[in-house]
Amino acid sequence: MEEAQVTAQLIRRCIAGDAAAWEELVQRYHRRIYNICYRFVGSAGDAEDLTQEVFIRMYRTLKSYEVERGAFMTWVTTMTRNLLVDHFRRTKQERLTDSLDVAPSERDDAMPLSEQIRDGRPAPDARAQAQQLGDAVHRAIGKLSPDLREAVILRDLQDMDYKQIATVLKVPEGTVKSRINRGRAELARLLQRTYKQVM
Amino acid sequence: MAGKDHSDMQCNEFDALLSDALDKVLTGPKAQAFQAHASSCPICGPLLAEAEMGKHWLEQLVEVEPPAHMVDKILAATTGIETPGVHRPAAQVPWFERATGWAQGVGQFIVAMSRQPRLAMSVGMAFFSLSICLSLAGVRLADLRRVDLRPSAIRRGYYETSGKVVKYYENIRFVYEIESRVREFKRVTSPREPAPAKQERHPRNDSSEQPEQEHNHRQGNGQIILAASDSPPAVDLAWVKPATLRRNP
Repeated sequence: MEEAQVTAQLIRRCIAGDAAAWEELVQRYHRRIYNICYRFVGSAGDAEDLTQEVFIRMYRTLKSYEVERGAFMTWVTTMTRNLLVDHFRRTKQERLTDSLDVAPSERDDAMPLSEQIRDGRPAPDARAQAQQLGDAVHRAIGKLSPDLREAVILRDLQDMDYKQIATVLKVPEGTVKSRINRGRAELARLLQRTYKQVM
Repeated sequence: MAGKDHSDMQCNEFDALLSDALDKVLTGPKAQAFQAHASSCPICGPLLAEAEMGKHWLEQLVEVEPPAHMVDKILAATTGIETPGVHRPAAQVPWFERATGWAQGVGQFIVAMSRQPRLAMSVGMAFFSLSICLSLAGVRLADLRRVDLRPSAIRRGYYETSGKVVKYYENIRFVYEIESRVREFKRVTSPREPAPAKQERHPRNDSSEQPEQEHNHRQGNGQIILAASDSPPAVDLAWVKPATLRRNP
């Protein structure tokens, strides 16, 4: 059975009051929603809270979803994005403005990535290096403006097509592409500025 | 923007095709024109390189694992149903299982603590202090019998001990001296009460609240003469110092 059909069936069962169907729906989508939230807000705790909030809202408004109108994933992503925008506005004043060079708290004693690469030797542990690079990219995403950030997250991390992204962001497809390109370029500039040796 | 260049492609066209080029869906003459513009335009060339690099780095990011309990929390928040993964409510656990678990926990704690030398030292000191206190209080563990632990026996022991303590305290010479001085001081400093009419004729310095025995005795120079007796003995109280008075235990 096709993915969309399975999802539609699950939704119908959920609306009919089937708790098992709701559990399956949560199991299917929680990882994806959590990842969107985590990449957007940058904090695991906030991402967990927001993911829970998304599912609470989904649970309340599931009856309003019309299968014929569009993909469930687009509907869920739109809901997630709206909550993320709300969260962004709510926490605007208290947002941290950490420097990209600051190592994450759990790895304060770790050698900065630039120093590891500067010594010219291969990294002793490739996985650790990849982890550090991932942290650097994650922090750089947090430095992007919300418009560019959400566009690159949905395209490059969630692998959504331009049309779906345009639906979620409620902007034309051309604008979506432009934002994605500017977001990628800005990200590269941020990382280059911090880790010139990588280049 | 550099505007129109040698490849007949404008920068805005280049920008529109950039996503397709990075997605590798740009083919044919458009792709050639795109590459030609990228190599000749001082703005679009670096933009292509940066966008490529940014895309590459974003692809390095792996999907993060959500917290293990998140699904349970979501289900609990939405349906109110807690899955077995969260925890079993305490009411469903039999009492003997709970008691066993509690006892095991306490036992493990005691064993873990007893391995600490500091704890052994503390326990030793506590035992030593307790034994000293008991011996000072006159309690001997060897003398303890089951009868002594009855509530009535404990109550009787309490009253006996408190009586002994009170007697001991009141028989201390120093305490008695202080008490008598205080009484004397009160007697001297207390204002004289207005004397009744018949006392005006026989003014006395006696401020005590003893029942008046006007005709039974007379007082003078520290001698009390009991008027009621046939042969009144003169009792000289001058030698009786307060400190020498002791109450019978």
